[in-house]
Amino acid sequence: MKGLSSQTVALAKKELYSALNSPATYGVWTFFLLFNSITFFYLQKFFSLDSATLRPYFSVIPLVYTLLIPAITMKSWAEERKTGTAELLLTMPFSEWDLVLGKFLSSLIILAIALVLTLAVPLSLFPLGNFDMGVIVSEYVGALLLGMAALALGLLFSSLAKNQISAFLGGVVVLLTVMLLNQLTSLMDLPKAIADILNYLSLAFHFESFAQGILDSRDMLFFILVTFLFLFINTRVLLFRKWR
Amino acid sequence: MIEVQHLTKQYGNVKAVRDVSFQVGTGQVIGLLGPNGAGKTTIMKILTGYHFPSSGTANIDGLSVEDYPEEIKKKIGYLPENAPSYGDLTPLEYLSFVAEARQIPKEKRQNRINEVMDQCSLQEVKNKPIETLSKGYRQRLGLAQAILHDPAILILDEPTTGLDPNQILEIRSLIRELGKSKTVILSTHILQEVEAVCSQVIIIHQGRIAAQGTSAEIGRTLKGQDSWHLELRGNLPEVLPQSFVFNHRTFIVQEQTRLDNGSLFIKVAYIDEPTGLPADPNAVGETLFDWVVAQGYKLCRMEHQKVSLEDIFVQLTKEGEDK
Repeated sequence: MKGLSSQTVALAKKELYSALNSPATYGVWTFFLLFNSITFFYLQKFFSLDSATLRPYFSVIPLVYTLLIPAITMKSWAEERKTGTAELLLTMPFSEWDLVLGKFLSSLIILAIALVLTLAVPLSLFPLGNFDMGVIVSEYVGALLLGMAALALGLLFSSLAKNQISAFLGGVVVLLTVMLLNQLTSLMDLPKAIADILNYLSLAFHFESFAQGILDSRDMLFFILVTFLFLFINTRVLLFRKWR
Repeated sequence: MIEVQHLTKQYGNVKAVRDVSFQVGTGQVIGLLGPNGAGKTTIMKILTGYHFPSSGTANIDGLSVEDYPEEIKKKIGYLPENAPSYGDLTPLEYLSFVAEARQIPKEKRQNRINEVMDQCSLQEVKNKPIETLSKGYRQRLGLAQAILHDPAILILDEPTTGLDPNQILEIRSLIRELGKSKTVILSTHILQEVEAVCSQVIIIHQGRIAAQGTSAEIGRTLKGQDSWHLELRGNLPEVLPQSFVFNHRTFIVQEQTRLDNGSLFIKVAYIDEPTGLPADPNAVGETLFDWVVAQGYKLCRMEHQKVSLEDIFVQLTKEGEDK
């Protein structure tokens, strides 16, 4: 894997420019903020909890990501294939990694902006109580890392799908599965070995420690490896299509 | 220099290209001619590194397209079929992206983009979203994108589709101009285009090369032959014989029809001199005239019909289907 080449940056810039000029991106951000805030303030009744913590806010992140992430990534490859522009990208002097990283970087920035926008919630709540800054930082780091892994998976689905809709639906189903795999272990009485494996594979399980304010290097490494793995598979998909 | 050796590409069970070999030197404009689905686009996709061949090799300046994809992509400008582009960008934004992706030095980018937009007459639409542009503009934008980095090799998949006659002439003269310093491969199913632009023709049919050479060469080596159209009046028999000999030359009457005005239209072909050399059309024409006079017919019209690429194309592609 190479560092960020000038071509990766060129592609990321173009992708970002298109995304920021598309109303859909603003719709996605609005949905994200509304969903989080409504759950936090109305469903989980933050003000009646009487506790200075954002844990309920971050606990819905894995769930909301299952919709948010595919919405961000669905277009990236599927649309290029549909309109034929994939042929342009793949015949320009980009390496597969340039392309995959360019797409990933722009998606990551869209997600990061969404997360930055949520800062309005802690910033407006800070005067109301003694929030633990460390925990909140850890929660944001976790949300970004979880997002990276989910984006890599979403991008992979977009590269496999023929159109945006199937990229979105495929992404939702798979993300829902890997996010909530750990719920199975609490719902069912599974043998410990199986439960451990299911937990290990669940993205949400690795997010839990961040949500509790623990920056666990193992979980960080897990997310980074998962991200890398899916991006790698994505480069192979691009290469494989040349042989098909 | 492009060298293609025994190239075969299979999509599933379909063999799109079968054992195709050809060479193209610098400064040549090569036309890939064939009916839709003949394999022209597939050959181009392989040359541009978008697809890998199933077997055989494609080398550009001695480098294999499979082993040196990035080096080769730098040498090539490619206009894919239907000129895809990003509809939400404007031509200026789109070309800026291509310039950056093609690593054109920052200080040269603006000048180069302006140059290319002048060449392809895009200045007046440079700030309109591409999705609102007509097919003609999009096609020219596709060409602009392909020549932006001044590549040594240009690969153009049906560059003039969707253009109006004036634009077609403009683009053809642009391609001819580019062809002086670059190697150009273009595909088309428009025969006049090949005759107007290309120095060499490769006729592709059902994935194979059916004929190759200049259009005159193809005409000569293949069964194509010149013919003469005559309109005769006067004291004519009901039907003329299938062939006749005059002045030691044998002519074949390929067609004869009685026209509404009472004249007899005949299409006469003459094959070769007894020496085996191609006949001098003027000498053959004179002989035919003398024959008409000797028969006592009246000649209303006589026209020399050169064998056209169109005839050869129809002939070749029909033969393939019969097999």
